Amino acid sequence: MLWYKAWLETRARFLTLLATVTAVCGFFVYHALGDLVPGWRLERDFDRLLFVNQQILVFLWIFGVVLLGMGGIVREKAIGTSSFTLALPASRARLVGIRVGVGIIEAIALGVVPWTAVFVVSSLAGMPILITQVGLYLLLLVGGGLVYFAVAVLVSSLVSGEYTAPSVAFGVTLLPTILSDAYLPLFLNNRRLVTGAFSVDTISFLLSGHLPWLGILASLSAAGLLLWASIIVVQRREF
Amino acid sequence: MTNEPAILTHALAKSYGSAEAVRRLDLSVGLNRITAFLGRNGAGKSTTIKMLLGLVRPSSGEGTVLGKRIADPEENREMRRRVAFVAEDKPLYGYMTVEQIIRFARSFYPDWRIDVERTLLRDYELPTHRKVANLSKGMRTKLALLLAFARRPELLILDEPSEGLDPVGIESLLQTLVSQSADGVTVFFSSHQIAEVERVADHVCVLDQGCLRLDAPLDSLRELYRRIDLVFAFPPPEREFQISGVESIRTNGRQMSLFVSGNAEAVTERAHNLNATSVEVTRVGLREIFLETVREN
Repeated sequence: MLWYKAWLETRARFLTLLATVTAVCGFFVYHALGDLVPGWRLERDFDRLLFVNQQILVFLWIFGVVLLGMGGIVREKAIGTSSFTLALPASRARLVGIRVGVGIIEAIALGVVPWTAVFVVSSLAGMPILITQVGLYLLLLVGGGLVYFAVAVLVSSLVSGEYTAPSVAFGVTLLPTILSDAYLPLFLNNRRLVTGAFSVDTISFLLSGHLPWLGILASLSAAGLLLWASIIVVQRREF
Repeated sequence: MTNEPAILTHALAKSYGSAEAVRRLDLSVGLNRITAFLGRNGAGKSTTIKMLLGLVRPSSGEGTVLGKRIADPEENREMRRRVAFVAEDKPLYGYMTVEQIIRFARSFYPDWRIDVERTLLRDYELPTHRKVANLSKGMRTKLALLLAFARRPELLILDEPSEGLDPVGIESLLQTLVSQSADGVTVFFSSHQIAEVERVADHVCVLDQGCLRLDAPLDSLRELYRRIDLVFAFPPPEREFQISGVESIRTNGRQMSLFVSGNAEAVTERAHNLNATSVEVTRVGLREIFLETVREN
């Protein structure tokens, strides 16, 4: 039932984000050609449009997973319910683990559903997308992007304020992204990994299939470490 | 069943920086009793309860609850399966409905008592489809108590359980505590409502400034504690009454008032020997015992 609790806690946030992101992506793909990007032609630039869609989705998705990473037992302490939760016969590691599990499922859904909507909208508009392209974009999004969710979970394990925690999490997430664009070597730029900039063919705008596996592995490892650190923080914390 | 106390602590202490919330607490709460845990605000009651449940770590000392070490996370988790806790502010998830939170809590306790759940739902008149956030404080208290009583605990730890209840609710709560105790449940509860404590408790512990000042059965307190008011023809010599059992002495002109925790006969005998013109011995209630105990410190 901890799954159920985690779901009820995040349900409103998740469904709002899901509807918003899906609507934005669907609207963008349906209306972009001709309406939003003058000069682009449907037949020639559709794959480029999908690449741009991934940029938009990445931005919204990071925003979404940071919000989904908020909450948890430290926030419960601030609103007073932590004593009820911690008096249950469940370990703190399990409390965090289940919350993370639900969050990851929601994060995946937050990528899959908008891309599915884009796939459906494109098919209806007579421009079917290769399913493998959708799969590759999703793999990059989730494989490279879960680290942002992990950052949010760690921040929410350290900071309890309703507004402070998301502010810090957005800061911690966005600042390195901005700095890495300017100062870090290209291969360390996680944003480019997630958006597909490392893998896209700059002429056809199709993902090549030669994905940066090492980068994905490094990003997933970093996410794992951050989530493990979150569990340790919560286990050591006093309530 | 073993005769080990339900709660046992040895030199348990908790400090927050330089502030000592609990100091070398040696507490022993017997099985199948109703033990009241009294103290002023900030005396360390809630911190003690939090240490027992593993919410905060002791700075030093040790303790067991139902034979499980409180500082060991795994043993503490095992212990929490057998303990029901109702926290001071009755915090519950506001986003769940009454029905959802009951279903949620039920899933953790295999021997949940559906009959108790149904009876209390009816008695407390809890609206099952209403969100917890929309319940009144009294309703939330009743819901928290339902969640505690229905799980068949061996030990009930209640922090200010009657807070927010109306007189009818308080009466019902006290009756439930007594019936739970009769069913073999050990009850350990903190309260500021001394009249309630006096009605149901078998044993009383008073904590003040983090130290245990009093730990005795209620009957023995009633038996031993007395207020002795003396009047003399001359200013009375306080020193003559500084004997074992005399907890406090107050002198006002020719009048003297003593608060004793025993040895009342010796005091009255001494008063007669000193030619007291009036000797009046009165029984004292728990309220006065509590106030004298914390006033001394």
